[in-house]
Amino acid sequence: MDSWQLRIAVLVSIGRNPVSGAARPNRNDLLALELARKAGGEVTILHAGDPNEPALADYLAYSAAPLETIPLPGGQDIVPALAARLQGFHLILTGSRTEGGEASGMLPYALAKRLGLPIVAQALDLAVAEGQAEITQFLPKGQRRRVTVGLPAIIAVHPMAPLAPRYSHLRRVSGQSVALPAPALTESASTAWRTEPARKPVVLKAGEKKSGHARMAAAITSESKGGTLVTDGTPAEKAQAILAYLRSHRLIEF
Amino acid sequence: MSGIRRINPRRPFRITREGIRRIVLGEEGDAGDITLSPVARAASKPLRLVGEATATLLVVAHSDRGALDAPAREAIAAAAILADPATAVLVLVLGDLAEELGPFGADRILVVPECGNGAFLPDLEVSVLSDVIDRFQPRHVLMPDSPTGTGDLGRRVAAALDAEIATHVVELKPDSVACYRQGGTLLARRGLPRFILLDPGAIDAALPFRGAGERLDYAAHAVAPGLYRDLGLKPVAGAALPLEEADFIVAAGNGVRDVPTLEAVADLFGAAIGASRVAVEDGRFPRDKQVGATGKTVQASVYMAIGISGAVQHLQGIRACRHVIAINSDASAPIARRADLTIVADAQAVMQALVSETARRNWPGDALDEARADG
Ligand SMILES: Cc1cc2nc3c(=O)[nH]c(=O)nc-3n(C[C@H](O)[C@H](O)[C@H](O)COP(=O)(O)OP(=O)(O)OC[C@H]3O[C@@H](n4cnc5c(N)ncnc54)[C@H](O)[C@@H]3O)c2cc1C
Ligand SMILES: Nc1ncnc2c1ncn2[C@@H]1O[C@H](COP(=O)(O)O)[C@@H](O)[C@H]1O
Repeated sequence: MDSWQLRIAVLVSIGRNPVSGAARPNRNDLLALELARKAGGEVTILHAGDPNEPALADYLAYSAAPLETIPLPGGQDIVPALAARLQGFHLILTGSRTEGGEASGMLPYALAKRLGLPIVAQALDLAVAEGQAEITQFLPKGQRRRVTVGLPAIIAVHPMAPLAPRYSHLRRVSGQSVALPAPALTESASTAWRTEPARKPVVLKAGEKKSGHARMAAAITSESKGGTLVTDGTPAEKAQAILAYLRSHRLIEF
Repeated sequence: MSGIRRINPRRPFRITREGIRRIVLGEEGDAGDITLSPVARAASKPLRLVGEATATLLVVAHSDRGALDAPAREAIAAAAILADPATAVLVLVLGDLAEELGPFGADRILVVPECGNGAFLPDLEVSVLSDVIDRFQPRHVLMPDSPTGTGDLGRRVAAALDAEIATHVVELKPDSVACYRQGGTLLARRGLPRFILLDPGAIDAALPFRGAGERLDYAAHAVAPGLYRDLGLKPVAGAALPLEEADFIVAAGNGVRDVPTLEAVADLFGAAIGASRVAVEDGRFPRDKQVGATGKTVQASVYMAIGISGAVQHLQGIRACRHVIAINSDASAPIARRADLTIVADAQAVMQALVSETARRNWPGDALDEARADG
């Protein structure tokens, strides 16, 4: 086992400051980088895009790992190029979502399909042992779920992962960064998307004529619920009425 | 006395079934006694789909303890609004189902109980969804873009089928979807793709019609054990959770004086504590516990409002809560109209009774404490 070395690739994208529009590291991807550092092993940072993008150097400042860039012009499909470089890694860590591109969170899934690897998303924590990764996943409503997955695997990190990436100027200036040979260009992926300036989205509503009062009532009450009123009985009986309600809806287990 | 005839602004009125305020001259009554009959109105809604359906829109959602949450109901409503008169809304429920989905707009329902309860079964779910898509050939598949549930499943299946997908959709129209780009500075739009993953709040779930709500038989094929193993759920103690994430909230208003007893009640249910603005401003609770328009918006399954009148500003914060239980000495407090169960009583007495009633019972609270100790 000694000779076995865990090899981790961390995929990073270029984020955007929503106010100034300036390029910066994507916070979600920094969390992936920090989780990789915590897991131990040999880490490679990988980006597909412009190797001269200045914000890339900031990723070096958060990790001692080398950075590799696959030169690709905008509009190219990054999945084949990334997949080609990702052979041989045990773990591929990504952020949950880009800030600059499609921001769809689809890339890890597209890669998983292409490479035939399992994917676990919403990771808060990660430990590797005996060819398996054990992941703590974020679930809403105060739940956490632990799952294991056989390696190699793709893991997307949740934005609430309790990690604190630390910036080091020394690492930023001394880190090594290489541009890989440019892959053959394919036809630019055509996109069905058109962009427009952001505004408040319009909520989809069923057409119905309603009086002002009905709209107000709909805004504060939820539909089709009358509600039970309990007025009689001792406090103990009333407490039992609450417990009975909770039990009948499987909201408590006692 | 002046000769001006004064009109009592609070003179008796009734609310008609259409929701219009009617002042009935000469009639005695309780001023402001608003009696809505939402149940009667829901039942009288017409069926949306009358003829034979020739096409299908598919909605996929996870259930929680037999019920669907607000984002799931929005996705069903979205499909029902998009559907033309010859298109059926088919709902695939992952997990068990104990409620009617017709009122939410569902025409046909498939239930897969094996997939519920927060279990991580991506192989099974992908197989079930692919099978349902194959059999019913829906024009579009709509689901809530919930982080671990259908958000994960939708991306898996769209990748597997190499299908077009829009995620984090904030605006849906009959012919397009839109989502934010570049940190919310741009809106990107395209025609309806096969898979539509909706962010919460994009759809108004109130419908003027209902679906047929017919349940179809469905048996999922077993799948071979794959690469994933689920080691189970681990709850985070309610008190340690931010309010927005809590599943059970015990909230106190001006009618609660005894904070330690309230804390004991919250502890009993493993619940997080919330408060009305008045209770916060009196200094009984910190600012970050305030629920409402100027406080937090919460999504708990259970919201227990103790001594809270239920002002509009407070109710705004609990719109997404599924079960609201009120304890209030005043049966006509507005909270009683929002609550599923209203206990008309002195808050202090009922809180103490809750604590003592459950203390006498020999319930397995030890297991809960264990979970908390290592959570
Ligand atoms: C711009 C604006 C923003 C606001 N934002 C918020 C907000 O974010 N959140 C918020 O909560 N409020 C907000 N408010 C205030 C809101 O309008 C109400 O004033 C407030 O919610 C009332 O709090 P309450 O129900 O605790 O108190 P009260 O209105 O005093 O009601 C107390 C209730 O407790 C009951 N009660 C009293 N004694 C007992 C007893 N012994 N046992 C049982 N029941 C008892 C009473 O019957 C009554 O219904 C806002 C107001 C404005 C104008
Ligand atoms: N150009 C890129 N190069 C490398 N990794 C990327 C790139 N774009 C996206 N990623 C990774 O994929 C994740 C999800 O991105 P997306 O699916 O585009 O929202 C990001 O958080 C990154 O980890």
